[in-house]
Amino acid sequence: MSLLQIQKLVAGYGAVDILNGVDIAVEPGKISVIVGPNGAGKSTAMKALFGLAQVREGRVLFQGDDVTRLPADKLVARGIAYVPQERNVFRSLSVRENLEMGAFLKPGDIARRIEAVLALFPPLREKLKQAAGELSGGQRQMVAMGRALMLEPRLLMLDEPTAGLSPLYMDQIFDRIVAINQSGVGVLLVEQNAKQALAIGHLGYVLATGRNRFTDSAANLLANREVAESFLGG
Amino acid sequence: MAALSDFINLYLLPGLVVGCIYALGAIGISLLFGILRFAHFAHGDMMTLGAYLAIIFTASLGWSPYAALPIAVVGTAIVALALDRAFYKPFRRSAGIVTVIASFGVMLMLRSAIQLIWGVDVKTYDIGIRFPMEFGMLKIAPRQVTIVLVTAALVVALHLFLSRTRLGKAMRAVSDDPDLARVSGINVEQVVRWTWIIGAGLAAAGGVFIGIQTKVHPNMGWDLLLPLFAAAVLGGIGRPYGAVAGGLAIGLCQELATYPWFSDQPFVAPGYKPAVAFSVMVIMLIWRPTGLFRGRVF
Amino acid sequence: MDIFSAGFLNYLIALGTMSGIYAVLCLGLNLQWGFAGLFNAGIAAFFAIGAYAAAILTTPESPNHLGGFGLPVVAAWPVAMLLSGALAWAIGRICLKVQGDYLAMATIGIAEVIRLVIKNEEWLTAGTRGISNIARPFEALPTPWNALAFLGLVAALVAGIYWAAERAWASPWGRALRAIRDSDVAAAAIGKDVTQFRLEAFVLGAMVMALAGALSAHYFKFLGTTATEPMMVTFLVWVMLIVGGSGNNRGAILGAALIWVIWSATELLTNRLPGEWITRTSYIRVLLIGLLLQIVLQRFGKGLLPERPPRMIDDRPKSG
Ligand SMILES: Nc1ncnc2c1ncn2[C@@H]1O[C@H](COP(=O)(O)OP(=O)(O)O)[C@@H](O)[C@H]1O
Ligand SMILES: [Mg+2]
Repeated sequence: MSLLQIQKLVAGYGAVDILNGVDIAVEPGKISVIVGPNGAGKSTAMKALFGLAQVREGRVLFQGDDVTRLPADKLVARGIAYVPQERNVFRSLSVRENLEMGAFLKPGDIARRIEAVLALFPPLREKLKQAAGELSGGQRQMVAMGRALMLEPRLLMLDEPTAGLSPLYMDQIFDRIVAINQSGVGVLLVEQNAKQALAIGHLGYVLATGRNRFTDSAANLLANREVAESFLGG
Repeated sequence: MAALSDFINLYLLPGLVVGCIYALGAIGISLLFGILRFAHFAHGDMMTLGAYLAIIFTASLGWSPYAALPIAVVGTAIVALALDRAFYKPFRRSAGIVTVIASFGVMLMLRSAIQLIWGVDVKTYDIGIRFPMEFGMLKIAPRQVTIVLVTAALVVALHLFLSRTRLGKAMRAVSDDPDLARVSGINVEQVVRWTWIIGAGLAAAGGVFIGIQTKVHPNMGWDLLLPLFAAAVLGGIGRPYGAVAGGLAIGLCQELATYPWFSDQPFVAPGYKPAVAFSVMVIMLIWRPTGLFRGRVF
Repeated sequence: MDIFSAGFLNYLIALGTMSGIYAVLCLGLNLQWGFAGLFNAGIAAFFAIGAYAAAILTTPESPNHLGGFGLPVVAAWPVAMLLSGALAWAIGRICLKVQGDYLAMATIGIAEVIRLVIKNEEWLTAGTRGISNIARPFEALPTPWNALAFLGLVAALVAGIYWAAERAWASPWGRALRAIRDSDVAAAAIGKDVTQFRLEAFVLGAMVMALAGALSAHYFKFLGTTATEPMMVTFLVWVMLIVGGSGNNRGAILGAALIWVIWSATELLTNRLPGEWITRTSYIRVLLIGLLLQIVLQRFGKGLLPERPPRMIDDRPKSG
């Protein structure tokens, strides 16, 4: 059974449909990567799961249960964590408070989980008391991912975690995603840096104008000439 | 120019007391704006309600208003939760300004309900005559001390709540970014409920203080609205600590403006005190609409 | 009761006249809220400026207040409207650049300050004594023709403002305002001067409100501090517009007439109750008006006559 299955998802904002029947799956303990041009609807797919875009048709199954249109806190309680593309930290809260907010639903034993996050992202240790809004882009991304990991999720959804980061930070983030995945967490990753993302992924999806254009193993997509020419920048 | 002792006893101290009362009301307006993103027009009437709930106990049971205060706070918070449920919750996903209209209606309903139940006459708490304590040239009424100290204690408690407790931090998180709070698993409705409890509770305390300081009448909520909004704008709306500073500043400005600064006449006629609040608000809107305290949302 | 009696006729004329004055107010608010999404919580301020300006300008010289200047009505009303428009312009310049809630708070403030001025500046407004002997157009005619003629004047003004507002609704100006109201970011993106459009709607609305104030001063022939009563001016007008249908000029008129008829009919009923109950029921009426507002907001958010796109422009196919 897949960890996550998005089936024939139609979703959008207001009266406008952005996604016109999209299928995406994440296998347990694996990484699925979504790539595609800007405006394809990659972020919308993630937002639709969490009610930030309206789902009009289709289903979302998590571990076989229908979780379509479930309120966000119920999804989080089931083990789905989500890091949005933009505005993904509480800027006025300290780093520690950001992490605590990730654990809102399970307040006990927070210290141990904060330690685990710090082990994954050592640079945050010195910044615990600083407001998250004052951090650099890369550190902010670490806070955002750390916050999402506080509930020890089964599935981590990351929307362009390396956007706007320097190459050094970019490699660090990819490295951490692999580490998180190796601890058994399934990952759904939207990325602009498609080659690097597909290189660490298992399944790959190419979205364009709200539809699936290619679906294959990540390795096959990387090797596919047509995909490379139109979507991976040659 | 009057003597320094008059300046302190008749202008500075009363300004401080009024400032405390405004601060208690403005905190709620600011918190609610931060969490629910709308200007709560019925907030002055929450203060009125608190003042009248205390009257039940002072008038019929002969309680001291200080003893009635906690009950008024709890009662007002419960009414606020019910009002939210009935009249504000349906608009959570609408534009904030529709909720403002709803709060306009709630203001109307609260006031007429108060008039219906308690009548339109001015009422006072019977606290008897207590002589002011004298410290040299200072004459301080015990109730002034109590009001300032209780307000200070409440603000410290609010600070501890916002900075130390899980729910208080969640409140700041929702104020910072409601969507992110929701996807983080924060129970936003629970946060909203606590915002009402705190905002309405503090407003009720402020209302009871008004009764202790002067008198209670059904229209006082309307009269309070302008200084409360001015205080919230001054402190940067959405920022409770700013609201405390804004409330104190507006209270002091209003009282000090009536001091005979340049002649033996009051600089601003006492009848125009609310205009002082309005002027401060307008100056802030021109000069710095984000309020004095930029930066942190809470 | 003899429904053909003179008393009943007078009652109907009064009902019609007041409905008409409220309809003017409602049309003014619709320009601000319905067209442009601007929340004005200080309708009473603009109404009062119109009323006092008209009263001071048209009354004969009096020791009780400024003037009067004994001007004819046709000269006084434009001045009243200009004064109100100028105040609206000043407030709008300050508040319209920032979020909507600031305008709401600032308009509350301006209404309070105007109320204080009226109460305190006796040299100007005669304070609580009020201004009396305000002339009413056509009052020299025999009864009931004098009242009927004034009603006709009010009705003609309502019709004229309605016509102009409908024109504005269908014009490019109205379209731009709606675009701004629905998404100021999007409207700014296509090059609209958002603040300027809002300012225009706000000022025009305030001028219409001032005209209503002038009409009411002449109608009652007396003007006191109750003219700025927020309940009777600001709240009731909001309820009228929301119930009638904001964004719809006919809705504004319908709402004004309907709510005014309900308001005064219930007053008629409750006045038959024993003394102690009269005051009590007046609060119940306000309570119910507030409740009515809530019910309409929640159940019929668009009001009795919902907003509709103007016919001439809407040639696009409808979706959804
Ligand atoms: N909140 C929103 N409201 C309306 N339209 C939106 C919103 N967010 C995104 N869109 C539109 O949806 C489309 C897809 O956006 P998005 O899902 O963010 O694309 P991607 O993440 O693939 O770059 C774009 O055309 C964008 O303009
Ligand atoms: Mg995106």
